Amino acid sequence: MILSLTVAVLVAGGVYLLLQRSMVRAVFGMTLLSHAANFALLITGVPGWRAEPLTDASSRADMADPLPQAFVLTAIVITMAVTVFMLALAVIGRDDDMGTHPETGATRDAEEHDDDVPADIGHEVAPRDAAEHEAEGRDA
Amino acid sequence: MLTVSVLWTLLILLATVAVTPVLDRVLGRSACWILAALYLAAAAALLPATAAVLTGAGDDAVSAFAVPWAPQWGVELAFRADGIGIVFSMIALVIGAVVLAYSTRYLERGRQLSFSLVMALFTLSMVGLVLADDLVVLFICWELTSIASFLLIARSGPAGQAASLRTLLITFLGGLSLLVAVSLMVMRLGTSSLQEVLASEIWSQDPAFTTLVGLLVGIAACTKSAQFPFHVWLPDAMAAATPVSAYLHAAAVVKAGIFLLLRFSPAFHDVLAWNLLLIIAGLITAFVGGALALQQRDLKKLMAYSTVSQLGLIVTLIGVGTEAAILAAVLHTIAHALFKSGLFMMVGVIDHGAHTRELRRMPALLRAMPGAFAVTLLGCMSMAGLPPMLGFVSKESLLTGALDAGGPAWVGWAVALGIAGASVLTFAYCAKIVLGAFVDRRDEEALARVDAADAGADEPIDAGDSHAADADATSGAGASSGPGTDPTGALTRAGDAHPADRVMLWTAALPILAGLPLALVVGVLDTPVSRAMEAALHDGEEHAHLAFWHGLTPELGLTVGVIVLGALIALGRHRLLPALEARPFPCDGARVLSAVDRLAERIAAVLVRPIASDDPMRHLAAILVCFSAVALSSLAVLLGSLEPITEGVNRPIDGVLLVLIAGATLLVCTRLDRLGAAVSLSGVGILATVQILALGAPDVALTQLLVESLTIIVIMLVLQKLPRRFEAPSRPRRAGAVTIAVLAGLAAGAATFLFAGRRDRSEVAEYYIANTEEISGGHNIVNVILVEFRALDTLGELSVLGMAGVAIVAVLSSIRHRYVDPHGRPEPDPPAALREDGTSAHRAITSAWSNAAALQMMVRITAPILALLSAMLFLRGHNAPGGGFIAALVGSAIVALLYLSTSRDRQIGPPRLPVYLIGSGVAVAVAAGILGFVDAGFLAPLHGYLLGAHVSSSMIFDAGVYLAVLGLVMVAVNLLGTSAAVGDPDSEEETRERADETIEGELEGPLETSRGERAPRPRRVGAGTAHLSSGTRPKEVGRR
Repeated sequence: MILSLTVAVLVAGGVYLLLQRSMVRAVFGMTLLSHAANFALLITGVPGWRAEPLTDASSRADMADPLPQAFVLTAIVITMAVTVFMLALAVIGRDDDMGTHPETGATRDAEEHDDDVPADIGHEVAPRDAAEHEAEGRDA
Repeated sequence: MLTVSVLWTLLILLATVAVTPVLDRVLGRSACWILAALYLAAAAALLPATAAVLTGAGDDAVSAFAVPWAPQWGVELAFRADGIGIVFSMIALVIGAVVLAYSTRYLERGRQLSFSLVMALFTLSMVGLVLADDLVVLFICWELTSIASFLLIARSGPAGQAASLRTLLITFLGGLSLLVAVSLMVMRLGTSSLQEVLASEIWSQDPAFTTLVGLLVGIAACTKSAQFPFHVWLPDAMAAATPVSAYLHAAAVVKAGIFLLLRFSPAFHDVLAWNLLLIIAGLITAFVGGALALQQRDLKKLMAYSTVSQLGLIVTLIGVGTEAAILAAVLHTIAHALFKSGLFMMVGVIDHGAHTRELRRMPALLRAMPGAFAVTLLGCMSMAGLPPMLGFVSKESLLTGALDAGGPAWVGWAVALGIAGASVLTFAYCAKIVLGAFVDRRDEEALARVDAADAGADEPIDAGDSHAADADATSGAGASSGPGTDPTGALTRAGDAHPADRVMLWTAALPILAGLPLALVVGVLDTPVSRAMEAALHDGEEHAHLAFWHGLTPELGLTVGVIVLGALIALGRHRLLPALEARPFPCDGARVLSAVDRLAERIAAVLVRPIASDDPMRHLAAILVCFSAVALSSLAVLLGSLEPITEGVNRPIDGVLLVLIAGATLLVCTRLDRLGAAVSLSGVGILATVQILALGAPDVALTQLLVESLTIIVIMLVLQKLPRRFEAPSRPRRAGAVTIAVLAGLAAGAATFLFAGRRDRSEVAEYYIANTEEISGGHNIVNVILVEFRALDTLGELSVLGMAGVAIVAVLSSIRHRYVDPHGRPEPDPPAALREDGTSAHRAITSAWSNAAALQMMVRITAPILALLSAMLFLRGHNAPGGGFIAALVGSAIVALLYLSTSRDRQIGPPRLPVYLIGSGVAVAVAAGILGFVDAGFLAPLHGYLLGAHVSSSMIFDAGVYLAVLGLVMVAVNLLGTSAAVGDPDSEEETRERADETIEGELEGPLETSRGERAPRPRRVGAGTAHLSSGTRPKEVGRR
């Protein structure tokens, strides 16, 4: 079946992009994978029948399976939502290729609006050692 | 059901939990008086059931009730009072009332909600546990007591945290063990009713199963009752406030373990593994606890270890499992609850009076606190098993029970001698309490030496111990001065110790003094103890004859020996004890647990290393390769036995599109300039649209096309802020990625080839095709499916849309401004080959306003057309390609066009509009769903005719879809479009501020000062305003 080859090409491209470091490339990869998934879903309706499922326009004998179409329509819109969200994540920071990410959870940064980005970008709060915790309890 | 006294008891306790916050707010620590009264009321409510049980009537109308809880599994919310339940709930309620009365003085003034509420919850779960008549209820109450004790210990400040976590860890281990046991019983016996389970034949028929479940239950009880080696949590838990310790360690948590053992005794009392486990664990615990108690210098820790030791004795007797032994265990449980709760409270009294709990620092308090001395002496006599206290009677019966042990005669004597040996230690540490606190003077010289030594040497275990005890200072007034502090911090003269608070002393004395008359008229306990024993053995014939004096018996001889040996140790205490105290046990439970903790952490660090990276390759490679292996190998296996491919699935156009899509995909993957990659991606999207159209899905194709165009706009908005090119992947990464990608692609293609296109049109397709028009009156089957047949799916989808919009706002408004919009552009614009300055061509490219002129012109014409188109698509959706989604996407295109056509970054619409749109979209869709209840149920469409045209309520639903989609696109355009990061000096707002405004509404002032806060609205001066103190100008009458 030709369409399964299309799916194969799209999945290969999507996976290749997903394995790259850049967030934007990963988003592109997800888009390709979504196309592949949509085709896979449409194929489950068996593409031997390809007339539009409009009862006043096509003959019922030739109509394509409408259920996968409804699924795919839903999937496309969700893909858009997810893509936009991931793009919002990609745009945070100077460069989506970077290996570290800024911390979240800040509510205000009135005190520190210095222009240079300090070295602590992407600083991780290491989970505190239980022993360390206890030592603090003793000191208190 | 209203006559069931058990129900009333539980209801009163439930009400107690409910009113505690209110009482606490109004009365502060005095609320505990009311709680104590409520506990007594609950105990009184239990009296009818008690009477029914004691007379042996077993009247279930009074003492039992059951409500179906999860009927499909036969689980009932069932409670039933029997001998054991009565004894234990009376202990929990009466001792609880006394402890609460004590707390009214012990706690600091003011609100003590974390104490009173958790105590109330604790008592409820404890009483629920002992009265439960269903295994599931029993297990849940068991876990609730674990959680409540954790909370009570954790509330005592920093030192309590580690201790409470250790408690939680150990008691939850036991909880898991109990869970397994309960599941095994329920699965095997097919019922969760406790009565039926215990009466089952299986315990005598299947020894392997019985042993397994018995051991699991035994382990669970051992963790809760602090049996070796799980005893470590109990002394740890001394970090809690004294009333908590008194309740937890005398009446509640530890007694839960004892209760569990007694509850399951009917099934296991003659199982050898059970007997061995409990006798051995019990005796070891009794000795270890006694020895450690003798070593302690802190009174409270001493009490804790003595509790461990006493519990060991009780567990031993339950392990013996004969009638006399169970009788003794029940009696000693009662006696222990009385004297130990009293003694714990006495420690609090001494702590308040002398401001220390450390025996070395304690002056001889005999004169300063004579009342406290008398009470403590009686309590310790009871604990040591001396006449004329209840402890004497119970200790005698312990020995009787031990001698009664089955098997060869030496077993009984061995157990009895073990108990006697532990009792010698008990006597010794009781003497240490009384003499150390009240009689022995401090040796100033020795103390100075010890202080010097403590200050110099590091003694980590000990320091940790006494500081853990110090945590009590947060709730109690007294603070024990630990080693290393200034010696002048401790009391120097006994005269400085002030007499005990009356309420505290009397409430502490109450349970101890109750043991004095009880010992002499111990016969009144005959019936309750016997009933408990019967409940614990199910076949008790013997009726207890408790008495103070049994004549000259072997037990009495053992007791005399215990007293003599104990007295010898007490006399030699000045030489023995310092030697013992100087050599603390080398292996401390806390240390073992933290070592286990560290080990687990180290193992986890090793295990996590392969994936502790943000490189997607490490996370995805293994998964994808495995997926490919499965799919490809199944291709190999199934290839021979496949159905033939359905005719007509391949069309020439598919082949053409395959080639084009492959080319475009290759471009997306290989282009390193972002713009090129984005355009290629869009190309793939357009080709996919054509393919979808070729498959006969016009609605889907329309949606795909519109989504594609909106997505590319958002991508462009984002790309303007990012570098122009992707970093080129390294050669090994490229090679690896290509390999995995090819494998995954082949696998996906193979799976599609294998599993699709090999059958006729599905039944559900036939159904929709045949019936849609008839059912809904619509011609467009896909749209009808979306808004009517499977509207719930669509509702979920539209929630996802809304969620994505809200999530974008949430993420952007939680990240510091400098990360969202870093200043300065990473790369300068490449110079364009332009005509000379001043020409219109130059202007059209370089200045923004002229750049946007063409688009502005276009928007003036296209916007109304698009609006009209959107409305048409919306209305015709039911019958022709269109509908809410497609119409909304067209409508969104207007927003995007408007945004693009302005020369400067501007927000489209009021700041909060997008969020309102999303919210109202979901609300409208849900409302349309609720409208469906008029007919068949949620989301059922209603059909009717309006002005001669067929209308359906699914139209309202579609309107919700429309609003939510529009909201998401507006969020994306407004928040991702800000051009501050591009270095536009004219830009007024930056991303972070705009994200905040999306939630808060328009914010005033410069970014730094107004982050996330509304500008305060000026108010006039009033009675409750604070203009003068806060320094803000009030609003004044008249014009500005």
